[in-house]
Amino acid sequence: MIQNKLSFHQSSVSLEIIGLPDYSNNENKDQISIISQWKLNIVDKPLIEGKIEHLRPIMDAFYIYSNLLIKNEIPSYESKLIDIKADNLHIHNIVLKSSKPNVKPLVLKIGNSMLSDTINCFDQLNESPKVRRIKTDIPTNIPKKLRFGLYKKDKFFNFFIPPFFAICSLILFSSYFIYFNSPFENIEKKEQINPE
Amino acid sequence: MRKSYVTNNIKLNELDALIRITVEMSKYLYPYIREILKSKENIEENSVIWNDFNKRFIELIKERFNIDSMRVKKLLNQAENDEIIIKSLLILSFCISNQGYQRLKNFLYDF
Repeated sequence: MIQNKLSFHQSSVSLEIIGLPDYSNNENKDQISIISQWKLNIVDKPLIEGKIEHLRPIMDAFYIYSNLLIKNEIPSYESKLIDIKADNLHIHNIVLKSSKPNVKPLVLKIGNSMLSDTINCFDQLNESPKVRRIKTDIPTNIPKKLRFGLYKKDKFFNFFIPPFFAICSLILFSSYFIYFNSPFENIEKKEQINPE
Repeated sequence: MRKSYVTNNIKLNELDALIRITVEMSKYLYPYIREILKSKENIEENSVIWNDFNKRFIELIKERFNIDSMRVKKLLNQAENDEIIIKSLLILSFCISNQGYQRLKNFLYDF
């Protein structure tokens, strides 16, 4: 059976996905739902290839590392399959560990430009309608904690502002009435009427 | 930080629109962003692009920002501004996909 091939390119990086459509779901001939192999080619670097079970952790590693890179001063990601550490602000050290015994890990050094090309290749794969979406553990929406924070803030203001204005208006009105009903003035008036 | 005496609070839909414009611009300018990052990686071999970019960046800050502010002074200091510029360029380069809008929003909220 002839396998389908799909390539995603971004400047110095290309990602090739090889696989078959799921005929049991009446999918098109061009579709890839069962990925059998993938190849990540970075210019001037050794070819990285593997099975579907390796692709997801590698994609996750790159996404998590890119997030850490922006948030932390010294980003570092470690897993059973891949380690990514920053040498400095511009160079990133990638160690790919083979699942086969007695195979030395593959060490790559890539710059920021190649890192962003790789991330963009993975994004193209994620967005391709021809490949069944590879599930990742990375959240794409605003973190729940933050969402809760924003929601809480709005709720807090909605809850707090009306009673605040109500209390202010009560204070203003009550001070107005205190001015007209001053008990000291009444006592003085009485004294004027009855000078005894 | 800006050279402006008017302090208007930005509305949520205006912030969304700005994020969308930024994402579209970074899609269009990705080849340039990439070259600037690459130039900084090999500064000894190819420093022209980085130096031109940095020079223009500082010119624009002096023109539009309040240079008496300490935060702006930090942006103008060439020894300190490298990290800020590179991280900003990286954020833009990570946001050129169709989900770039959501990603940039997340980056901005977490920054």
